[in-house]
Amino acid sequence: MIRRLLQVDFMKMKRKGFWFLTFLGPFGVVALQMVNYGLRKDYLLQQSEDNWGHYLGNITVFTPLALVLGIVILTSFIASVENETNAWKQLLALPVSKLSVYLSKFTVLAGLLFVSSILLAVFTLSFGIFLNLGEQIPWIELLKDSFYPFFAGLPVLALHLWIATVSTNQGIPITVGVLGTILTYSSYVLPDWVIWKWPSLNNGWNEPVINVWLGIGIGLLLYIGGMLDFARRDVK
Amino acid sequence: MLFSIIQSEWYKLRKSKIIFIILAGPLVGLFTGLNSNIAAENGELNKWYFIFMMMTLTYALLFLPLVTGVLAGFICRYEHQEGGWKQLLSLPVTRGRVYMAKFILLMGLVFFIQLLFLASLYTAGLIKGVQDPFPMQIVWKSIFGGWIATFPLVALQLWMSMIWKSFAAPFTVNVIGTLPAILAVNSETFGPIYPWGQPFLMMYIGGGTDAVFFIPWEQVLGVVGGSFLIFFTGGLLYFKRKMV
Amino acid sequence: MNYMVETKGLSKRFGNETAVKNLELKIPKGEVYGFLGPNGAGKTTTIRMLLGLMKPTSGSIHIFNQDLTKEKISILKKVGSLVENPSYYPHLTAYENLEALRKILGVPKKRIYEVLETVRLTDVAHKKVKGYSLGMKQRLVIAASLLNEPQLLILDEPTNGLDPSGIIEIRDLIKRLPSEYGMTVLISSHLLSEIDQIATSVGIISRGKMIFQDTIETMREHAQIKISLKSSNSHRAYQSLLTKGKQVDYKDGLIYLDDQSDEDVAEVVNSLVHDGFSIYRVEEEKRSLEDIFLQMTSKEDVK
Repeated sequence: MIRRLLQVDFMKMKRKGFWFLTFLGPFGVVALQMVNYGLRKDYLLQQSEDNWGHYLGNITVFTPLALVLGIVILTSFIASVENETNAWKQLLALPVSKLSVYLSKFTVLAGLLFVSSILLAVFTLSFGIFLNLGEQIPWIELLKDSFYPFFAGLPVLALHLWIATVSTNQGIPITVGVLGTILTYSSYVLPDWVIWKWPSLNNGWNEPVINVWLGIGIGLLLYIGGMLDFARRDVK
Repeated sequence: MLFSIIQSEWYKLRKSKIIFIILAGPLVGLFTGLNSNIAAENGELNKWYFIFMMMTLTYALLFLPLVTGVLAGFICRYEHQEGGWKQLLSLPVTRGRVYMAKFILLMGLVFFIQLLFLASLYTAGLIKGVQDPFPMQIVWKSIFGGWIATFPLVALQLWMSMIWKSFAAPFTVNVIGTLPAILAVNSETFGPIYPWGQPFLMMYIGGGTDAVFFIPWEQVLGVVGGSFLIFFTGGLLYFKRKMV
Repeated sequence: MNYMVETKGLSKRFGNETAVKNLELKIPKGEVYGFLGPNGAGKTTTIRMLLGLMKPTSGSIHIFNQDLTKEKISILKKVGSLVENPSYYPHLTAYENLEALRKILGVPKKRIYEVLETVRLTDVAHKKVKGYSLGMKQRLVIAASLLNEPQLLILDEPTNGLDPSGIIEIRDLIKRLPSEYGMTVLISSHLLSEIDQIATSVGIISRGKMIFQDTIETMREHAQIKISLKSSNSHRAYQSLLTKGKQVDYKDGLIYLDDQSDEDVAEVVNSLVHDGFSIYRVEEEKRSLEDIFLQMTSKEDVK
């Protein structure tokens, strides 16, 4: 059943710009560095011995912000597809369990964000090679910077899916998203327990992988919480 | 006439959840203000400046541009539901006036948020125990300048919110404009001409303090005024032709 | 008796407000059951509970003799529904809308064409629903409700937004369903005339309570004949009849007789003439279903 629901969810995404946004996020992050390096490449290359490292550092300034904003936008979009004509009542009067409907939405969103992560790695690598930053490509760092934020951001995804599906007024999840973005941007002053800090991969132990495990663990908990609440509610 | 439309717009908005958005502004201000490490600054500089600079960084760079989109979405929400545009525009009102009313109300809300931000600065300073004299004139310049700088952004967001029913679509446009501002304000070439960077440049008191605003008049008129004219006219023309 | 839908003590409260109170809905197989009541009486809330969209505060629901809370999915496989305003995905075409539902229901693709034909949307099947008229959208959701050839079809105000010819079309379709496909239909409406023309059983709900539930014939019997009588000095005539122990009512200068056999009428007329009243008119008044409906629902209002 979940496979069918996924097919249906992908069908409903047609002509709504989901794939465009999936592309736009990672492209935007790298495009900003295209402008940055385009304007002042010489200056930037002087900043450090490790040109690749410095370049990846510049990219990762925007990755967490783009990820959090992408989550806010995609979750709100997927909820408005059902909210627009209150199609929830039609969908949930079909022989499907509410749990699988929720799981399908989450899977679709996680899938899109994962594709974004892949694209981020590809774009980062391509532009890095184009800049001629050196023979020694730091593969491990590149992959970490592209995929760790995705896992570390799962709690934000789980939280936003819940807020977006239970709000009739999509202004609410967007406002929460704006506040979350501010938190992500200020992550350096935040304590480690704030989930919006995690995509920046910073923590007191200086061990980015901790954020990945926290992201998966707490993300799962928040997902289950949101799903159970969604199932408990009366359909509007 | 215009005034009664504004009143009616406000009436519709009163009972929405808009208060939460308005309160988010000072919340962000307070959050960054209290997190600013004031002890690190022990030079000659007035400590109010220090807190204020820390606060405006996040607030003017990200929050203010982003929140204009949320407010614009709210102000068009009722009309997008259940044929509200039809109902509103079949009243004896002109479309131009409806557009103006919504824009004026939005600017009023942004100004109110700016005032609350000012209040949050004062509160943060009091909590932090700042003893220095409060630099009222400079701070006012910043609050007022930041408000002026949102004119084009509000106009664009109102335009986008009239096109799309969903909140997420105009918000996407907003994000695409706002994120690059983080880089743009650091650039001497792009900074002065990038509309989404102007709220920051006009609020950040690190700039020149001799003029009326922190940026030159040419920039205020050319970039803020110019982009405002484009976005406002674009939105107005769109709205006049919109099929409802 | 074997019911397709049977609820026991079904209640739903929202905060302090009771939307549905102790509802005992009984829908026999093969019937077109008209679920009738004024706006806000609790029809849609009941239907939402029948579809598992809302959880009852108390009471039970059995559909196909299965408990809805325990076997929701297997029940919903055999149910088609339309709740309140039409739901659809405006950015998709009619075909795509149905395909999205078909994938979940797992019925063959040809059903899409069949139901599109049934509601006459074949010509516009590949146009985005965004541009449809209200009536076309309504027909699309009716098509959607038929997609899985349901044994039970639940339609909440299905003729909303349809033009007169659309209403007739849908009415004829609904009438055919029990005989041709063995479906049982629950159709809600606030218009008695609507229900009167297609239903075989009726349930009337008012303020969340079922105030009448039986076959439409039984309901029509309630539309009993009344005899009205006009005479000189009607009120005194009425009083004189009362003193003689006759079952009569008086209203607006007319005397109404409760007993209506020919003998009774003759007796009353006789006694009035005997007492010196002049009889001007003796008339038979037939109460319309509408009157009964109004009377039933307004009686409830008083409480």
